[in-house]
Amino acid sequence: MKDTKKVKEKKVKKNRRHMSMKTKRRIGNTAIYVILAILIIIWLLPFVCILLESFRVDSPGQSGNVIPKVWGFDNYIRLFKESDFGRWYLNTFIIALCTAVLQTVIVLCMSYTLSRLRFKGRKLLMNVMLVLGMFPGFLTMIVLYKVLSGLNLTGAHALPGLILVYCASSGMGYYVSKGFFDTIPRSLDEAARVDGATRFQVFKKVIMPLAKPIIIYTVLSAFMAPWGDFIFARYISHGTSSGYNVAVGLWSWTTKTSIGTHYTMFCAGGVLVALPITLLFMFMQKYYVEGVTGGAVKG
Amino acid sequence: MATVKLTDVKKVYGKNVVAVHDFNLEIKDKEFVVFVGPSGCGKSTTLRMIAGLEDISDGTIEIDGKVVNDLQPKDRDIAMVFQNYALYPHLTVFENMAFSLRLKHAKQEEVYQKVTEAAEILGITDYLMRKPRALSGGQRQRVAIGRAMVRDSKVFLMDEPLSNLDAKLRNAMRAELILLRKRLNTTFIYVTHDQTEAMTLGDRIVIMKDGYIQQVGTPTEVFEHPTNLFVAEFIGAPKMNVMKAKLLYEDGRYSVLVHGAKMEVDEDHNRKLAEKGVRSRDILLGVRPEHVSLVPSKQENSFACTLEVNEMMGSELHLHVETESEERLIVRTPTVQMSEEERASLVYGAELYLNFRGKVMYFFDPETEQSLTD
Repeated sequence: MKDTKKVKEKKVKKNRRHMSMKTKRRIGNTAIYVILAILIIIWLLPFVCILLESFRVDSPGQSGNVIPKVWGFDNYIRLFKESDFGRWYLNTFIIALCTAVLQTVIVLCMSYTLSRLRFKGRKLLMNVMLVLGMFPGFLTMIVLYKVLSGLNLTGAHALPGLILVYCASSGMGYYVSKGFFDTIPRSLDEAARVDGATRFQVFKKVIMPLAKPIIIYTVLSAFMAPWGDFIFARYISHGTSSGYNVAVGLWSWTTKTSIGTHYTMFCAGGVLVALPITLLFMFMQKYYVEGVTGGAVKG
Repeated sequence: MATVKLTDVKKVYGKNVVAVHDFNLEIKDKEFVVFVGPSGCGKSTTLRMIAGLEDISDGTIEIDGKVVNDLQPKDRDIAMVFQNYALYPHLTVFENMAFSLRLKHAKQEEVYQKVTEAAEILGITDYLMRKPRALSGGQRQRVAIGRAMVRDSKVFLMDEPLSNLDAKLRNAMRAELILLRKRLNTTFIYVTHDQTEAMTLGDRIVIMKDGYIQQVGTPTEVFEHPTNLFVAEFIGAPKMNVMKAKLLYEDGRYSVLVHGAKMEVDEDHNRKLAEKGVRSRDILLGVRPEHVSLVPSKQENSFACTLEVNEMMGSELHLHVETESEERLIVRTPTVQMSEEERASLVYGAELYLNFRGKVMYFFDPETEQSLTD
């Protein structure tokens, strides 16, 4: 009898300890969630403000209130009817799309080559590119401008010029994807080559399907950089509105003289700029994370 | 239907790291040749050169009389099985096996027929729709073999295909490979570091060390007539005992003086030694563990040693003994004929008397380590 009592007591004590652990965890979780919620609010607030302002049609300039008194789509309509925004948007989209495609092809070829082939000067090439890549791109601004203006790719013809600039040095961004390719066993390439595949077939049929996450990562980052770029777009288009991208175009409204009449349009433009990127991310997020961390675990 | 001929094949890495030296070998049609040796001996490199996955620094490789030095792997008509299986993780087992046929744009019916046939032989029909990651090691290896089988290629290359499997599975797969080989009836080149695999699978064994061929021969030849000390020690498990000894030549007869015991050399060896004109000299004496006999008492032709370890292997005992001159030997002795008392007496520190039979002794030059008889 005594023994069973002792056992029971022990059980109760154990349970109590267990309970306290549970409560502790609950408190900890609550605290974490509260902090996260506050952070989310801080981060999202500006976006919410812009979104709200974009639907405000009571006045085109800044007003004291964030929540619109009169709601409407006027700002969005005006964007396309009364300004060059449509042109800028198309420019940006074409540039970003072309860059994404070209850059992905270049980067993937480059990194696969550096990962698989052994040739003289490979190490040197990699190091040189790594070091060069550390210099910010705009160091070459003046030279690039001279070259592009010589080719007549500035001002109104900024579009191909910008694509050229964005893609030109993209091979130097081989590092992440080379790391990914390095984790795919070489014996897969060899097996495929023995099976009758050419080097290109190996890349297309074996490596590409396995490298999906890193391809998506490369496409996304290659799309995003020109999508939001300002510096190059600004000086290569040098004040010719038809050569602007969205960043430069929207920025041109923030001058003292035009902000008063373009503020809500600016907000609407901002929303439209954020839209494709947000959508892309929402759908590709899974792969994006895999691409960044994918090399860690071998399948 | 293919012969493989390697003439003075050499592989140099960088400027002066030579992985394979002047490799000469002619592999007959439908022969099963095993390259065996310790790691870093160049066996895999040689195989990869035949496959076309490594450049050949010098010499020529011919498949079916055609020099293939500059051909891509895909144009050499070979099939290869890799140590780590190298299955395509994104494809099902069926597609893995069909990969080479798809590249050749084979007809759907042909692909289906060949893959299912190979799968049936290998017993993997139930897994055809699975991805490789859902298979066990043994199953993966079967798929890898299947992928090579469907190609009907001239030469079948295998690079340590069993070394990723556990011991039990390895034995089972080894037996299956022997059956498979009979069925496929093509030229096989097989690389392994495991001498048991080499002995059981090969028609001929090529034993390599440091990029040099040490000996080429049938399993029986390399086991019974090793040309040098390395081969003698490498082939056979547990490995051959080697000890310092003196070869005596008196009145046209040879005998061996080892650890104070004088043992007669048999007729066959007598003749061979005489043919080579060997006289009294220092030698390294090799005796396989199974050829050492325990004798009940000290005689003129036996010597004493102390028992250190007694390993019970089931049907036999492996006795690790130390001689008076602190040389360590292994004795393999069957348990069948042993009495209970005899077995009980084999404890640590027990004194044993050993004797070798003249017929199964090996004589090596201590300097060149070459055999004095073969």
